[in-house]
Amino acid sequence: MTVGFVGFEITWRKDVFSGAPQAGSAANYGTLGINFRARKARSEEELIAALAALSCEVSIRDAETSAEEKTGGR
Amino acid sequence: MSEHTLEDQELDVEVLRQAIQEEYAEVAANPEKGFHFHTGRPLARMLEYADEWLIGIPEHSIESFAGTGNPFSLGELRSGERVVDVGCGAGIDSLIAAKKVGLDGRVIGVDMTPSMLEKARDTAGESGLANVEFRHGYAEELPVDDGWADVVISNGVLNLMPDKAAALEEMARVLKPGGRLRIGDILVQKAVPESAKRKIDLWTG
Repeated sequence: MTVGFVGFEITWRKDVFSGAPQAGSAANYGTLGINFRARKARSEEELIAALAALSCEVSIRDAETSAEEKTGGR
Repeated sequence: MSEHTLEDQELDVEVLRQAIQEEYAEVAANPEKGFHFHTGRPLARMLEYADEWLIGIPEHSIESFAGTGNPFSLGELRSGERVVDVGCGAGIDSLIAAKKVGLDGRVIGVDMTPSMLEKARDTAGESGLANVEFRHGYAEELPVDDGWADVVISNGVLNLMPDKAAALEEMARVLKPGGRLRIGDILVQKAVPESAKRKIDLWTG
Protein backbone atom coordinates (compact mmCIF):
# COMPACT_ATOMS: atom_id res chain seq x y z
CA MET A 1 0.00 0.00 0.00
CA THR A 2 1.36 3.42 -0.97
CA VAL A 3 0.48 6.29 1.32
CA GLY A 4 2.04 9.72 0.95
CA PHE A 5 1.29 13.24 2.06
CA VAL A 6 -1.65 15.45 1.17
CA GLY A 7 -2.48 19.07 1.90
CA PHE A 8 1.04 20.42 1.39
CA GLU A 9 1.20 24.12 2.23
CA ILE A 10 4.02 26.64 2.73
CA THR A 11 2.79 29.08 5.35
CA TRP A 12 5.75 31.40 5.97
CA ARG A 13 8.99 32.45 4.34
CA LYS A 14 11.67 34.83 5.52
CA ASP A 15 15.33 35.66 4.93
CA VAL A 16 16.85 34.00 7.99
CA PHE A 17 20.50 34.04 6.89
CA SER A 18 21.30 37.73 6.36
CA GLY A 19 23.54 39.15 9.05
CA ALA A 20 24.85 35.76 10.18
CA PRO A 21 28.35 35.95 11.70
CA GLN A 22 30.01 34.15 8.78
CA ALA A 23 29.36 34.68 5.10
CA GLY A 24 27.75 31.67 3.46
CA SER A 25 26.33 30.69 0.11
CA ALA A 26 22.69 31.35 1.09
CA ALA A 27 22.45 34.73 -0.63
CA ASN A 28 23.79 33.32 -3.91
CA TYR A 29 20.71 31.13 -4.24
CA GLY A 30 18.10 33.43 -2.74
CA THR A 31 17.75 31.08 0.23
CA LEU A 32 14.81 31.64 2.56
CA GLY A 33 13.68 29.95 5.73
CA ILE A 34 10.21 28.44 5.33
CA ASN A 35 7.56 26.65 7.31
CA PHE A 36 5.49 23.99 5.59
CA ARG A 37 2.92 21.45 6.62
CA ALA A 38 1.22 18.43 5.17
CA ARG A 39 -0.73 15.44 6.43
CA LYS A 40 -0.25 11.73 5.86
CA ALA A 41 -3.13 10.47 3.79
CA ARG A 42 -5.65 8.44 5.78
CA SER A 43 -5.91 5.88 2.99
CA GLU A 44 -4.61 5.01 -0.44
CA GLU A 45 -7.94 6.25 -1.85
CA GLU A 46 -7.42 9.67 -0.29
CA LEU A 47 -3.92 9.87 -1.75
CA ILE A 48 -5.10 8.87 -5.22
CA ALA A 49 -7.84 11.49 -5.08
CA ALA A 50 -5.32 14.14 -4.01
CA LEU A 51 -2.95 13.21 -6.84
CA ALA A 52 -5.79 13.27 -9.35
CA ALA A 53 -6.70 16.77 -8.23
CA LEU A 54 -3.17 17.87 -9.11
CA SER A 55 -3.43 16.68 -12.73
CA CYS A 56 -4.00 19.26 -15.43
CA GLU A 57 -5.83 18.34 -18.62
CA VAL A 58 -5.70 20.51 -21.73
CA SER A 59 -8.24 19.66 -24.41
CA ILE A 60 -7.17 19.42 -28.05
CA ARG A 61 -9.45 22.36 -28.88
CA ASP A 62 -7.76 24.52 -26.19
CA ALA A 63 -4.32 23.53 -27.46
CA GLU A 64 -5.25 24.42 -31.07
CA THR A 65 -6.66 27.78 -29.96
CA SER A 66 -3.47 28.49 -28.02
CA ALA A 67 -1.32 27.61 -31.05
CA GLU A 68 -3.39 29.94 -33.26
CA GLU A 69 -2.97 32.78 -30.78
CA LYS A 70 0.82 32.29 -30.78
CA THR A 71 0.99 32.41 -34.57
CA GLY A 72 -1.43 35.27 -34.90
CA GLY A 73 -4.17 32.98 -36.22
CA ARG A 74 -2.22 31.87 -39.32
CA MET B 1 37.00 22.60 8.05
CA SER B 2 38.98 21.43 5.05
CA GLU B 3 37.44 21.91 1.64
CA HIS B 4 35.77 18.79 0.34
CA THR B 5 35.23 18.97 -3.39
CA LEU B 6 34.05 16.06 -5.49
CA GLU B 7 33.88 17.76 -8.89
CA ASP B 8 33.53 14.71 -11.08
CA GLN B 9 32.13 12.22 -8.61
CA GLU B 10 28.77 11.36 -7.22
CA LEU B 11 28.05 12.86 -3.82
CA ASP B 12 29.50 10.55 -1.16
CA VAL B 13 26.78 10.34 1.48
CA GLU B 14 29.14 9.16 4.20
CA VAL B 15 31.55 12.04 3.55
CA LEU B 16 28.61 14.45 3.59
CA ARG B 17 27.29 13.03 6.87
CA GLN B 18 30.75 13.34 8.40
CA ALA B 19 31.07 16.99 7.30
CA ILE B 20 27.62 17.83 8.69
CA GLN B 21 28.41 16.09 11.97
CA GLU B 22 31.66 18.08 12.25
CA GLU B 23 29.77 21.32 11.67
CA TYR B 24 27.02 20.57 14.16
CA ALA B 25 29.39 19.14 16.77
CA GLU B 26 30.95 22.61 16.68
CA VAL B 27 27.50 24.20 17.15
CA ALA B 28 27.04 21.92 20.18
CA ALA B 29 30.47 22.60 21.70
CA ASN B 30 31.05 26.24 20.74
CA PRO B 31 27.71 27.85 19.91
CA GLU B 32 29.12 31.34 20.39
CA LYS B 33 31.75 30.80 17.69
CA GLY B 34 29.68 32.32 14.89
CA PHE B 35 28.47 30.37 11.88
CA HIS B 36 26.99 31.08 8.46
CA PHE B 37 23.59 30.77 10.11
CA HIS B 38 22.16 32.43 13.20
CA THR B 39 21.93 30.47 16.44
CA GLY B 40 20.49 30.54 19.92
CA ARG B 41 17.91 32.83 21.52
CA PRO B 42 18.29 35.62 18.91
CA LEU B 43 17.47 33.07 16.21
CA ALA B 44 14.47 31.81 18.18
CA ARG B 45 13.13 35.37 18.31
CA MET B 46 13.77 35.81 14.58
CA LEU B 47 11.78 32.63 13.91
CA GLU B 48 8.91 33.89 16.09
CA TYR B 49 9.25 31.42 18.95
CA ALA B 50 7.10 32.66 21.83
CA ASP B 51 9.10 33.52 24.95
CA GLU B 52 6.76 31.35 27.03
CA TRP B 53 7.74 28.24 25.04
CA LEU B 54 11.34 28.68 26.21
CA ILE B 55 10.50 28.91 29.91
CA GLY B 56 12.13 25.97 31.67
CA ILE B 57 14.30 25.04 28.65
CA PRO B 58 17.95 25.01 29.79
CA GLU B 59 19.98 27.82 28.28
CA HIS B 60 22.64 25.49 26.89
CA SER B 61 19.99 23.78 24.78
CA ILE B 62 18.75 27.13 23.50
CA GLU B 63 22.29 28.37 22.74
CA SER B 64 22.84 25.54 20.21
CA PHE B 65 19.53 26.08 18.43
CA ALA B 66 20.12 26.29 14.69
CA GLY B 67 16.70 25.93 13.05
CA THR B 68 15.48 27.70 9.94
CA GLY B 69 11.76 27.87 10.70
CA ASN B 70 9.13 27.30 13.36
CA PRO B 71 7.24 23.97 13.34
CA PHE B 72 5.08 25.11 16.27
CA SER B 73 3.59 27.95 14.23
CA LEU B 74 1.95 25.37 11.95
CA GLY B 75 -0.65 24.12 14.40
CA GLU B 76 -1.03 23.18 18.02
CA LEU B 77 0.29 20.01 19.59
CA ARG B 78 -2.39 18.46 21.77
CA SER B 79 -2.10 16.90 25.19
CA GLY B 80 -1.27 13.19 25.00
CA GLU B 81 0.07 13.26 21.42
CA ARG B 82 3.20 11.44 20.25
CA VAL B 83 5.82 13.51 18.43
CA VAL B 84 9.00 12.63 16.53
CA ASP B 85 11.58 15.41 16.11
CA VAL B 86 13.79 14.56 13.14
CA GLY B 87 17.28 16.05 13.52
CA CYS B 88 16.60 17.24 17.05
CA GLY B 89 20.06 18.71 17.65
CA ALA B 90 20.48 19.93 21.24
CA GLY B 91 16.81 19.25 21.84
CA ILE B 92 15.10 22.64 22.04
CA ASP B 93 12.17 21.68 19.78
CA SER B 94 11.82 18.26 21.45
CA LEU B 95 11.64 19.91 24.86
CA ILE B 96 9.09 22.48 23.70
CA ALA B 97 7.03 19.63 22.20
CA ALA B 98 7.33 17.64 25.46
CA LYS B 99 5.94 20.60 27.39
CA LYS B 100 3.06 20.96 24.94
CA VAL B 101 1.98 17.29 24.87
CA GLY B 102 2.26 16.92 28.65
CA LEU B 103 2.86 13.87 30.76
CA ASP B 104 0.42 11.72 28.77
CA GLY B 105 2.29 12.46 25.56
CA ARG B 106 5.67 11.25 24.34
CA VAL B 107 8.45 12.80 22.26
CA ILE B 108 11.31 11.02 20.50
CA GLY B 109 14.17 13.21 19.27
CA VAL B 110 16.44 11.66 16.65
CA ASP B 111 19.84 12.99 15.63
CA MET B 112 23.01 11.60 14.01
CA THR B 113 25.50 13.80 15.90
CA PRO B 114 26.57 12.20 19.21
CA SER B 115 27.58 15.46 20.90
CA MET B 116 24.20 17.01 20.10
CA LEU B 117 22.43 13.95 21.53
CA GLU B 118 24.53 14.13 24.68
CA LYS B 119 23.59 17.78 25.10
CA ALA B 120 19.91 17.02 24.44
CA ARG B 121 19.86 14.24 27.05
CA ASP B 122 21.58 16.48 29.61
CA THR B 123 19.12 19.29 29.09
CA ALA B 124 16.12 16.95 29.24
CA GLY B 125 17.39 15.72 32.61
CA GLU B 126 17.87 19.28 33.83
CA SER B 127 14.42 20.36 32.67
CA GLY B 128 12.79 17.43 34.49
CA LEU B 129 10.79 16.41 31.43
CA ALA B 130 10.36 12.63 31.66
CA ASN B 131 8.24 12.27 28.52
CA VAL B 132 11.07 12.85 26.05
CA GLU B 133 13.86 10.56 24.92
CA PHE B 134 16.65 10.96 22.41
CA ARG B 135 17.81 8.28 19.98
CA HIS B 136 20.74 8.08 17.61
CA GLY B 137 19.73 7.67 14.00
CA TYR B 138 19.39 9.09 10.52
CA ALA B 139 16.40 10.79 8.93
CA GLU B 140 16.48 8.17 6.19
CA GLU B 141 16.31 5.33 8.75
CA LEU B 142 14.32 6.60 11.72
CA PRO B 143 14.59 4.39 14.83
CA VAL B 144 10.84 4.63 15.44
CA ASP B 145 8.06 2.07 14.95
CA ASP B 146 5.63 2.26 12.04
CA GLY B 147 2.62 4.45 12.72
CA TRP B 148 3.83 5.55 16.16
CA ALA B 149 3.55 9.33 15.80
CA ASP B 150 0.68 11.79 15.64
CA VAL B 151 3.07 14.52 14.51
CA VAL B 152 6.52 14.67 12.93
CA ILE B 153 8.43 17.91 13.35
CA SER B 154 11.81 18.90 11.92
CA ASN B 155 13.67 22.17 11.69
CA GLY B 156 16.53 22.97 9.32
CA VAL B 157 17.33 19.35 8.62
CA LEU B 158 15.63 18.18 5.43
CA ASN B 159 17.87 20.45 3.34
CA LEU B 160 20.89 18.50 4.64
CA MET B 161 19.51 15.19 3.37
CA PRO B 162 20.89 14.12 -0.02
CA ASP B 163 17.94 11.73 -0.41
CA LYS B 164 14.99 13.89 0.61
CA ALA B 165 12.46 11.42 -0.77
CA ALA B 166 13.83 8.70 1.54
CA ALA B 167 13.61 11.04 4.52
CA LEU B 168 10.01 11.98 3.69
CA GLU B 169 9.10 8.31 3.20
CA GLU B 170 10.45 7.60 6.67
CA MET B 171 8.46 10.48 8.12
CA ALA B 172 5.35 9.04 6.46
CA ARG B 173 6.17 5.55 7.77
CA VAL B 174 6.36 6.62 11.42
CA LEU B 175 3.19 8.74 11.21
CA LYS B 176 -0.26 7.34 11.89
CA PRO B 177 -2.74 7.65 9.02
CA GLY B 178 -3.84 11.29 9.06
CA GLY B 179 -0.74 12.25 11.09
CA ARG B 180 0.66 15.76 10.67
CA LEU B 181 3.98 16.89 9.21
CA ARG B 182 5.25 20.23 10.59
CA ILE B 183 8.53 21.36 9.06
CA GLY B 184 10.82 24.36 9.18
CA ASP B 185 13.40 24.27 6.40
CA ILE B 186 14.79 26.30 3.52
CA LEU B 187 13.77 27.14 0.00
CA VAL B 188 16.18 28.24 -2.74
CA GLN B 189 14.82 30.71 -5.29
CA LYS B 190 17.63 30.21 -7.80
CA ALA B 191 18.54 26.87 -9.33
CA VAL B 192 21.56 25.17 -7.77
CA PRO B 193 23.83 23.74 -10.51
CA GLU B 194 24.48 19.99 -10.43
CA SER B 195 28.22 20.66 -9.98
CA ALA B 196 27.49 22.76 -6.89
CA LYS B 197 25.37 19.96 -5.42
CA ARG B 198 28.48 17.79 -5.34
CA LYS B 199 30.45 20.34 -3.28
CA ILE B 200 30.27 19.22 0.34
CA ASP B 201 31.14 22.69 1.62
CA LEU B 202 28.06 24.13 -0.08
CA TRP B 203 25.86 21.69 1.86
CA THR B 204 27.32 22.77 5.18
CA GLY B 205 27.81 26.46 4.39
